[in-house]
Amino acid sequence: MLQAININKIFKSEGQETQVLKNISLEIPQGEFLSIVGRSGSGKTTLLNVLSTLVRPDDGELLYHGDDLTSLPESGLNRLRYADFSVIFQFHHLVPYLTALENTLLPFMSSLKPAPRELVDKASDCLGRVGLAGKENRLPGNLSGGEQQRVAIARALVKSSRILFADEPTGSLDKKTGAEIMDLIVDLNSEGMTVVMVTHDPEYAKLAGRSVNMEDGVFV
Amino acid sequence: MVFTLGVMSIVALYQVSLVIGSSMEKKLSTYGANILISPSNETLSVSYGGFHLGDMLYNVEPLSEKHTVSAVKSIELKERISSVAPKLVATTKIGDTAVAVVGVRWENELPIKSYWATNGEFPSSPDEIVIGSKAAENLGIHTGDTVNFFGSPFRVSAVLYPTGGDDDNVILTDLGALQTITNRQDEVSFLEVAALCSGCPIDDIVAQIRKQLPGTDIKALSNVVNQRMASITFVQRLVLSISLVILVTAATMVGLSMLSAVNERKKDIGLLRSLGYSKGRVFFIFCLEAGFIGILSGIIGYFSGFAASFKALSLLAMAEGASPVFDFNHLLITCSIIGVITVLAASYPAWKGASIEPSQALMAL
Repeated sequence: MLQAININKIFKSEGQETQVLKNISLEIPQGEFLSIVGRSGSGKTTLLNVLSTLVRPDDGELLYHGDDLTSLPESGLNRLRYADFSVIFQFHHLVPYLTALENTLLPFMSSLKPAPRELVDKASDCLGRVGLAGKENRLPGNLSGGEQQRVAIARALVKSSRILFADEPTGSLDKKTGAEIMDLIVDLNSEGMTVVMVTHDPEYAKLAGRSVNMEDGVFV
Repeated sequence: MVFTLGVMSIVALYQVSLVIGSSMEKKLSTYGANILISPSNETLSVSYGGFHLGDMLYNVEPLSEKHTVSAVKSIELKERISSVAPKLVATTKIGDTAVAVVGVRWENELPIKSYWATNGEFPSSPDEIVIGSKAAENLGIHTGDTVNFFGSPFRVSAVLYPTGGDDDNVILTDLGALQTITNRQDEVSFLEVAALCSGCPIDDIVAQIRKQLPGTDIKALSNVVNQRMASITFVQRLVLSISLVILVTAATMVGLSMLSAVNERKKDIGLLRSLGYSKGRVFFIFCLEAGFIGILSGIIGYFSGFAASFKALSLLAMAEGASPVFDFNHLLITCSIIGVITVLAASYPAWKGASIEPSQALMAL
């Protein structure tokens, strides 16, 4: 489904070059739950960003259903991010002045037209599914950290994404809330959604079907 | 906020300039007429045997008061005419002293002779007169005296303080009374017209009067008009200059605010790009937001400025006879202009923000 071949990524800062990814090759079949573990600075988040097309690699190929995404124009990447990929972040980034429901509908709010009724209903259902029924009209500031992460997951659900990229999804949550979020992610995977998750928590990494360990930009 | 204050200042300045301009027009028009209507005539310079008799007028057709006044008041630009003051000039003798008597319609004359000051009251009945300072001195007449001319007695209701002009040498009386006693019914020697001319060329008014009154001599006292228009134009240009400075400052502030907003909202940009929003869409969202803020600022600023103009005018005490007038079209134009300016001011920062790569934006997360 998604295949990285000899991916390299170098970051330049103040005249200094740092190679963050070194000849990384990886294959992620459809429906897999892959966890990427490693210490801070090992390159796991950069790899996740490359796989989710948020960062273009300097070198190598990224194949999605056989198409090389590294040569795809910006518009093609936008379509992919809109339709197939979803990313959730450690700080469950939500737009602070939009309600939980509006944040869930954010992918469909790029035009001036209001979202169709069925989409709004689907978004409400998704929020209900992640345990936020009745909290659709709350602003992020009135939701707990775990609830905000659930809104971010609901946003991936409403898009019917094929792959969920999760960057430390429990990193800012307490143990109990983190476990609840992980249960949700496992459920989504069991329903067929491919999951690629970056974590430094070995307990959560064990929930994935496969785990890769990174150190200094390479798998170890 | 910056833009609201900017719009408020501009609208307040604009309203104040309009009101002051209008008020100045009215005040300036009281300093004299700017169009003179007199009968057409031919001049003959008479000299014989080395003796010069001076210029003599002939073929002088007197003007009809009713016809001339109604003709002036029926021109297309009649709303620009603030006063039509007809006059009849006659000469007589009081004792052994020759003196000119000028018949005027007081209600039309006083608005354009606001600089007249007297030691008494202006006439309230046809048998009362006002006398110029030099004439009073020459004739030995004082306020309250009675004088006889053309066989009728007249009470001196006031003596004019010196004006430095022709008014000092004449007797001013009611036009109707003078027409009756001189048996020159409906006759006038000339008319003075005061026209308000901000934004209207005096030549057009003169041309229209000339069309209505063929065979008369009509002169525009262009110096007076130009002076009035220059004063009004000066105020309006001053306001325009200040408004432009405020507008440029406000637009710069909006640009800087947008740059700051872009930096503060890198996370949002990163999120939107990760959800598949294109650069163009992110640019559009920022511009739309700026335009919305601009229009809202325009509405709030317009009404605040409108309200502030009342306060400013009361502080300046320069708005006699005029007050700010709400115009819905002005509001629409203001909002449209401000909306466009905010979008233009925001376009560079918006494009800069939209062009941030998702990866760079996400580093802010």
